Amino acid sequence: MSVGVLVFPGTNSEEETLRACWAVGLEAHLVRWNADLDEVRAHAAYVLPGGFAYEDRVRAGAIAAHDRLMTVVREGAAAGKPVLGICNGAQVLLESGLVPQLDGSTRAQAGFAPNAPLGKFRSTHVHVKLVIPPERCAIVASLAPGAVVPAWASHAEGRLAAQPDVLERLEREELVAFVYCDAAGRAVPEAVPNGSALGAAGLINARGNVLALMPHPERDAWTYMHHDATRERARGDASAMLASSGGIALFEGLASAVRA
Amino acid sequence: MIRCVEVLLAIPDNEAWTALATLQRLGIQIAELERGDLYRCDVEDVDAERLVETLSGIESIFNPNKHVLRVREDDGPGPGEVWIDERGTGTTAQRGAVRIAGRTLAGVRALERFTAWRLFAAPNRPAGPEVTQAATETLLCNPAFQEAIV
Repeated sequence: MSVGVLVFPGTNSEEETLRACWAVGLEAHLVRWNADLDEVRAHAAYVLPGGFAYEDRVRAGAIAAHDRLMTVVREGAAAGKPVLGICNGAQVLLESGLVPQLDGSTRAQAGFAPNAPLGKFRSTHVHVKLVIPPERCAIVASLAPGAVVPAWASHAEGRLAAQPDVLERLEREELVAFVYCDAAGRAVPEAVPNGSALGAAGLINARGNVLALMPHPERDAWTYMHHDATRERARGDASAMLASSGGIALFEGLASAVRA
Repeated sequence: MIRCVEVLLAIPDNEAWTALATLQRLGIQIAELERGDLYRCDVEDVDAERLVETLSGIESIFNPNKHVLRVREDDGPGPGEVWIDERGTGTTAQRGAVRIAGRTLAGVRALERFTAWRLFAAPNRPAGPEVTQAATETLLCNPAFQEAIV
């Protein structure tokens, strides 16, 4: 069973996403926007990596949400296949209406709006905490309750926004899967890098097989990716630098979901 | 007094072209699409020429090599047009001392910023309200955090 890592014009995180999939034993392949759709359908799961699909024209993720590949992702999600969107991929999932899909809607019910304040791009190391029962979402089912996962937030449009009634339902129906937190797992306001409503970092669909996660777990998948990783620290212990890091947990979860 | 200043690309607009191609592929019957950055200003005693002079001096808004800047006669969307406002970002609506790119706009009491999309059913023939509405709902506006004014 293989995973399709989707590539739109402007996607830029496909290689590290692919490597993170391989690292947890998944067979994964890049799927370009002009791929044969029957070949795309053959994959058991899909990952939408980060980047700037179609240059974020109109809005981040808006054009890619209507790409021909998304018809297959939509079919797959409806059939229960796991779908993981990271950063720009998460924006695509919200723009396409695949998340949160309240009442089965196929229209965008939420969005990742420009960061507050002032819509500025932020690139910073963050932690996200699982705040739903793991069994609520296939991709996080293998994580411990309350698991804290390190990742890199790197976006200008990551502020969850929706109408008040939608936000209320997202919370009540356990569709906010991850919130920003500090390293100790405390969901404090200062841990939120973008003004996101509910402090949300990741949302799922009502069925629980599609996860849209704004920060990048694949950028904290190995120890050498840490901001304090230096040649001096690695000297004499290169293997330690190549050890898995916390972000790989999301991909282990994806692997479990694919094999389930 | 409300004055609307619009900044349009004088060179081919890739974003508008991509939006047009996407809308056509989704079955929206339009032939052309234009996009502009629109600034709706509540001005005190600033005449149009002075407002144009001020805004055209801000490099992050107006680059004479690739932009055209004009003062509109109207203060709302015209036929076949939709204005998109991003709510709650702190970047689109200002009152009091209005500042853009670190500069205070003298004589401007309030400013709202929109993306203006103009849809055409055929060259020089604006799209009808139903088509404009369909394009807005399909692609141009995400109502979760944007407001469309038609």
